[in-house]
Amino acid sequence: MSERLEDFSLGKSMQPKGTIQKIGVVGCGAMGQEIALLISQSGIEVAFIDVSDERIEEVFRRLEKALDARISKWGLTGSEKKLIMSRISGSTDYSIIEDCDIVFETVNTKKKGTSLELRQEIFKKIESVVRPDAVICSNTATLMISEIASVLKNPGRAMGLHFFSPVSKVKIIEAVRSVNTTDETYALVSKLALMIGKKLINVNESAGNISTRMLVPLINEACEILMEGVATVSDIDETMKETSGLQMGPFEMADKIGLDKVLKWMENLYADFGDQKYKPSPVLKRLVRANLVGRRVGEGFYLYQDEKRLVKQGPITNLGRV
Amino acid sequence: MKIIVLNCGSSSIKYQLFELPSGEVLAKGLVDKIGLKGSLIKHSRNDGTEVKLEGEILDHQIGIEYLLGILISEKYGSLKGLNEIDAVGHRVVHAGEKFNGSVYITPEVVAALEECIDLAPLHNPPNLKGIYSITKLLPEIPQVGVFDTAFHQTMPDYVYLYGIPFSIYEKYKIRRYGFHGSSHRYVSQRAAELIGKKLEDLKIITCHLGNGASIAAIKNGQSLDTSMGMTPIEGLMMGTRTGDLDIGAFIQIVNKEEIDISTANTLVNKHSGMLGVSGVSSDMRDVEKAASEGNERAKVTLEMYYYRIRKYIGSYAAAMGGVDVIVFTGGVGENDAATRYHSTKGLEFMGLNFDQSKNVGLRGKEATLTTDDSKVKVMVIPTNEELVIALDTFEIVSAL
Repeated sequence: MSERLEDFSLGKSMQPKGTIQKIGVVGCGAMGQEIALLISQSGIEVAFIDVSDERIEEVFRRLEKALDARISKWGLTGSEKKLIMSRISGSTDYSIIEDCDIVFETVNTKKKGTSLELRQEIFKKIESVVRPDAVICSNTATLMISEIASVLKNPGRAMGLHFFSPVSKVKIIEAVRSVNTTDETYALVSKLALMIGKKLINVNESAGNISTRMLVPLINEACEILMEGVATVSDIDETMKETSGLQMGPFEMADKIGLDKVLKWMENLYADFGDQKYKPSPVLKRLVRANLVGRRVGEGFYLYQDEKRLVKQGPITNLGRV
Repeated sequence: MKIIVLNCGSSSIKYQLFELPSGEVLAKGLVDKIGLKGSLIKHSRNDGTEVKLEGEILDHQIGIEYLLGILISEKYGSLKGLNEIDAVGHRVVHAGEKFNGSVYITPEVVAALEECIDLAPLHNPPNLKGIYSITKLLPEIPQVGVFDTAFHQTMPDYVYLYGIPFSIYEKYKIRRYGFHGSSHRYVSQRAAELIGKKLEDLKIITCHLGNGASIAAIKNGQSLDTSMGMTPIEGLMMGTRTGDLDIGAFIQIVNKEEIDISTANTLVNKHSGMLGVSGVSSDMRDVEKAASEGNERAKVTLEMYYYRIRKYIGSYAAAMGGVDVIVFTGGVGENDAATRYHSTKGLEFMGLNFDQSKNVGLRGKEATLTTDDSKVKVMVIPTNEELVIALDTFEIVSAL
């Protein structure tokens, strides 16, 4: 029998309890991929789950591409990339996450309507495979963690943890405790935040937390100004950037997030609060119906060609087209 | 006296067990990938026994506990029990302005080193972890800290100050500190021994050329100047570090490439130097091979590398008012004949007569590379930083 390192222990140290060794990510879209990279870069193993083998291959291709982009922009070396990739595994089978300390649900559904039931299904599946002390987190911005976690046998293990893109740069995460979240759950999540170099912003459970709730009316009001013919898309963006210290104007931001996603946020907030300020602007709805959802598809409030953002010259009644 | 020397990095621990005063190495090894997947310990004993053990090593303390366990084990050990260990010496990178020599570690010393974390955020925390772990595991055993920066604390203010507002120096202690102190100290002492003169009577230039590289001007046994500064980026061009770089150029790079400061830090530390210029490798041997095959960028990389060493040698000779000995050490300095030849070429005007027949083929051995009548001697002296740490620890603990 081969020798094990453990045979040489002096029994003086306890293996540190609660040390985070492996994180699961269920639903590895754009946000899931960014989270996976950040966690692996922090030296923690990551296992992700996605819907098909093709999709998993695609995720690995995208992870490689994201790291290659960072190498070409000097932020990383080739050997660091190898190390980061070596800590990430993917599968369609939930057994891959059974030994995870924390599992993130980061599904990104393009379907109309709420994703509550889908997220609840995933929470149940995660709970059926993980250890009793594992924590389950959702990256939702507008749904209630208490409601998602209500389907769990132990809802105390769940928390909302809302990351922001670009995950590698934004220093904060919104942390939402449900009515049931235990102190142990919060402590483990705090430890993870420390390990990955992020600060937790504690938020009492409320749809949209801080960021989404502030952002939605901003985008909506920008749409109103645009529809009234007060100013153009690019002038509204430029004014907000120069005068409010924003890195991106409201339209640039909406295009980057994806107008379909912005619309879903608006619908969720409007449903929750019933306040007119969250009621989706008609221009946004028209763009989404035409699948002009922003940077991802090459057109939204702006046009995107060869990684450049171009101003649309036509009237807003024609969605900016000439 | 049996002394363990620890060099704790962010995810690794290098260790050696010494018998003092003979300096014999009884065992040594590496704890690797701490807190990561696939952690392991590679251990070897002076009778040739070697073993690689894999297992979970979640933090430095666990790693140190295992290495102690191996050192006292029947099969691979060199000690009958932990009570045979007389002292532990730690390599600590940055001691700021706090210490100008090695010290016996007390809670006050630990507090002072914690205050230096700002100056070396990547290196000091793991060094401190080593100290915390030994304090917990072997509370009765004396520990000694040996600092990379301490030897250069003799630099005068006109050498260590940068031309920046003085208030910034006062507020943040931003100044030149220098590194590789144990190595520069060891090889300069050894050079004096080998030529049979007093260190106090000599002007020595020591070239520590490894993946990181620095040169020191050692006058009368004291460091007068060294090429690394506040951080190990300044000075010679290195494997992946820029060495001296105009701050204006740096600002221009940040603006043009549209990168943030942490990315720019990676650029100057990991993408630059020989790797960045040659596009081949950070390893001298690969760059030399490429140059010999006609790669023009590799050729200019080597020329830059030699030129910068030569420039520093010249300026340090001027700073000291002459030079008696130039010492080469570190991986490249000890093994690469071409570097030794080219970086001292053209210095005949100083009275340096290089003897290429003594240089070619010499690897990792003490030797003099100049003719017997050469006014300036060029020497190769393999460095031994661990031995310096062990010797300092021995001296301090013996006097307790």
